[in-house]
Amino acid sequence: MKSLYNWLNNRIDMDGAIAFAQKKRVPVFYGTVWYYLGGISLFLFAIQLVTGILLVLYYQPGADTAYESVKFIVSKVEFGWLIRETHSWSANLFVFFVFIHMFTVFFAKAYRKPRELTWITGMILFVLALAFGFSGYLLPWNELAYFATKVGSDIAGAVPVVGEFLLRVLRAGDEVTGATLTRFYGIHIAILPGIFTIILGIHLFLVQIQGMSVPPEIEKLPEEKRRTIPFFPDFVLRDFMAWLIVLNVIALLAVFFPWELGPKADALAPAPAGIRPEWYFMFMFQTLKLIPAHVWFMEGELFGILFFTIGGLIWFFVPFLDKKAHMGIRSTFWTWFGIGLVIYIIVLTIWGYMV
Amino acid sequence: MGQPSRRTFLDWLFRGGLSAWVISVTYPIVRYIIPPDVPEIDMSSIEAGLLSDFPIGGSKIIRLGRTPVLVFRKINGDFRAMEATCTHLDCTVQFKKEDERVWCACHNGYYDSDGKNISGPPPRPLGRFDVIVQQDKVIVKKPDLA
Amino acid sequence: MKIWLTLIAFSLSVGLAQESGCISCHIELDEDLDDHEKIVDNYLGGVHAKNNLDCSDCHGGDPEAFDDEDEAMWDAESFRSDLTKIDQLEMCGSCHSNPNVMKQYTASIKTDQVDQYETSHHGIALENGNEKAATCTDCHGVHGILEIDHPKAPVYPFNIPITCSNCHSDESYMAHTDLPTDQYKKYESSVHGIALFENEDVGAPTCNDCHGNHGAAPPDIVHVKDICGTCHINNQDLFQTSHLQSMLLSEGFGQCEACHGNHDIAKPNDDMLDWSEGALCYDCHADGGNAKDMSNHFYSVITNLNSDIELATSMVHDAENKGMIVDELLFDLEEAHKVLIHTRTNIHSFNIDFVDSNAIAGFEAAQAAVTGAQQSLDEFDFRRKGLFYFSLIITFTVIVLGLKIKVMK
Repeated sequence: MKSLYNWLNNRIDMDGAIAFAQKKRVPVFYGTVWYYLGGISLFLFAIQLVTGILLVLYYQPGADTAYESVKFIVSKVEFGWLIRETHSWSANLFVFFVFIHMFTVFFAKAYRKPRELTWITGMILFVLALAFGFSGYLLPWNELAYFATKVGSDIAGAVPVVGEFLLRVLRAGDEVTGATLTRFYGIHIAILPGIFTIILGIHLFLVQIQGMSVPPEIEKLPEEKRRTIPFFPDFVLRDFMAWLIVLNVIALLAVFFPWELGPKADALAPAPAGIRPEWYFMFMFQTLKLIPAHVWFMEGELFGILFFTIGGLIWFFVPFLDKKAHMGIRSTFWTWFGIGLVIYIIVLTIWGYMV
Repeated sequence: MGQPSRRTFLDWLFRGGLSAWVISVTYPIVRYIIPPDVPEIDMSSIEAGLLSDFPIGGSKIIRLGRTPVLVFRKINGDFRAMEATCTHLDCTVQFKKEDERVWCACHNGYYDSDGKNISGPPPRPLGRFDVIVQQDKVIVKKPDLA
Repeated sequence: MKIWLTLIAFSLSVGLAQESGCISCHIELDEDLDDHEKIVDNYLGGVHAKNNLDCSDCHGGDPEAFDDEDEAMWDAESFRSDLTKIDQLEMCGSCHSNPNVMKQYTASIKTDQVDQYETSHHGIALENGNEKAATCTDCHGVHGILEIDHPKAPVYPFNIPITCSNCHSDESYMAHTDLPTDQYKKYESSVHGIALFENEDVGAPTCNDCHGNHGAAPPDIVHVKDICGTCHINNQDLFQTSHLQSMLLSEGFGQCEACHGNHDIAKPNDDMLDWSEGALCYDCHADGGNAKDMSNHFYSVITNLNSDIELATSMVHDAENKGMIVDELLFDLEEAHKVLIHTRTNIHSFNIDFVDSNAIAGFEAAQAAVTGAQQSLDEFDFRRKGLFYFSLIITFTVIVLGLKIKVMK
């Protein structure tokens, strides 16, 4: 063990890396618990990588084989059910923790100078996470996924000018078919992981060199009043503890609340009742349903897309819009903006599930 | 017990727990990677048996995915495969080699050797499957959707 | 409406080589003669109009006379305004019994209807002077006769019971005979009637499938098994080999009918074998003996198999509800169920050994499903146990880790 370490140390300066990690300190205050969220998201992404790679060993894309191979995995392959359940549950928890991570960062104003780029890369990762969810949902090729994808990709078709083009690119044709499945598969297991890993690398690199952000009021405290602990081993061990707990929760969910496979997708079958997108798209889905057919001069769907595009852009560029944060002042406007957004998402999501 | 020994004891416990955890995670993964005894079924085709399993006039009911399929060999040596579920009331049909017809015993419905309903209550023909003979293997395949 | 009809009539009359002088007048006659517009309308939608047959082909007269009523009808020797039932036979038969005429329209059409009719109870009654007896038009309609496979034709399978019941359910119309008039009512609630009306199964037997159509007559008791055997072939084969067939015939019973009845044949159920009053065998064999043993035996085989299947089904569903994949067990259940149906058929052999030996496969299939379901349920328990131990390990590690962090401070 020791000699291996020495061997490595002679080549890649392990001492230096550990010294850096030990020197790096994590602030301790009421919000320290929020620091675990990014780590948990990272851990969930790692689970996704491992279980995803394992699923690829047996999964066969294609309209004739996708559903059958998933069925084969969950019924014939030993622990196949566990791998699939873990992948699905971990995916949902991933999106969930990414949401919370994003909002805690927002309310702590951690996006302010010098961390604008961390926020921007984080936002890109958020969008990629949603894309992961959307593309992965179709892969079992079951009825519900098929129709949810149909409805979901329809929305892309409503984008002005390029809608038709987008829809065809997304579906690899005019309809959701086996070609769409192949395309989604490629996006899900090759394109997205590739981009995600690069952006994630930048995101983590930025976090490492800039250290943890603290809210403005903590930052203003005199040095002696600010408590910290070393990143290594103290914080890392705590992180690890959180990961273990999350993994146990996933195992519980996988055993007690398995995801049903349901019937195989059939393009000619009538759409089943209760087609729903995944929960993290619910607030958008419900908004689009609530918008009247015509708003002013444009179609309701177009208005919805415009609404989400503008909203998304504001959210994306919030580090540049919130000038007060850079001066270390909490902007009441942006805080309320965030609170309003949280309430909006929660209410619309619940509403979506009630109807 | 002094502070250092307590710490060592905890470290020892921690390593134990960690090892158990690593094993409990690795074990399912290793078992998962070992392919199951049942070969993965390619759902668009299946081996119905060997050529020697089908003498002239011989027949067999196999399952392709969730569909029972009747495979038989005509007097002239040709193979035919079609859904084995009668289109009338879902009974299972059989091949009658004497008159080269497919027969449903439930209500005496008849289909010809191409699956067309020719007498009795069946309202529709039986869906056809393709049969491919590769060396000594008889393979039944879902027809290509053109 | 009238204008359109006139237009249609006109265009048709051009098509009919200017023969339809009849229509051009009769379509206007509604005020004087009831329903003539409707008659023309019906006729135009029928198969005869489609094949260029004109009114005069049945009613005679001279359609080319057009406006001259006398010349067109009353003075023409061939003119017949009403046709008697005997006339009808002759008139329809003049084409339909003539292969040389009929094959011009449909090469493979049958031409034996009148011959068959003469052997039917309808035909015999008519010959004996009973003008109430049904002839061609009573079943096929009059002016707007449709092809027999037209869904609106009165002789299309779904419509036949209604067509027959027009006369046969009319008590006053049937008063001159000793025939019952409740056949339609009975049929409607029978297994066949439900198949036809509720399940819309065109293959379900209706009146003519047992009684014949042009040669309609009740089947005689010797041949009841053949008639039922048209569809219930296995039951017929088994029954023919049983000792029961000759016994029933010698007692004057109509074989299948003796137990199952005729128009009101109910969907058979297993309780028909349960030895008690109302059970099928009990009615004749109330004194017990062999019949009682056999009935009890069949009853126990079928109910045992049935309860095995029910147990297997509930276990499979239990496993399915717990999220296990049970596709292959469903095949076993299907197989067991198929054998159950065969066993119910096999009792018509009235041979205990035969029934028993063929039921074995069903018990085996049900057992296979039970075993498979049990494996699935065990697997389900295994998952929970595995989760328990996994949680134990994690909880332990987390606690130790917590202590370690505490000590580190």
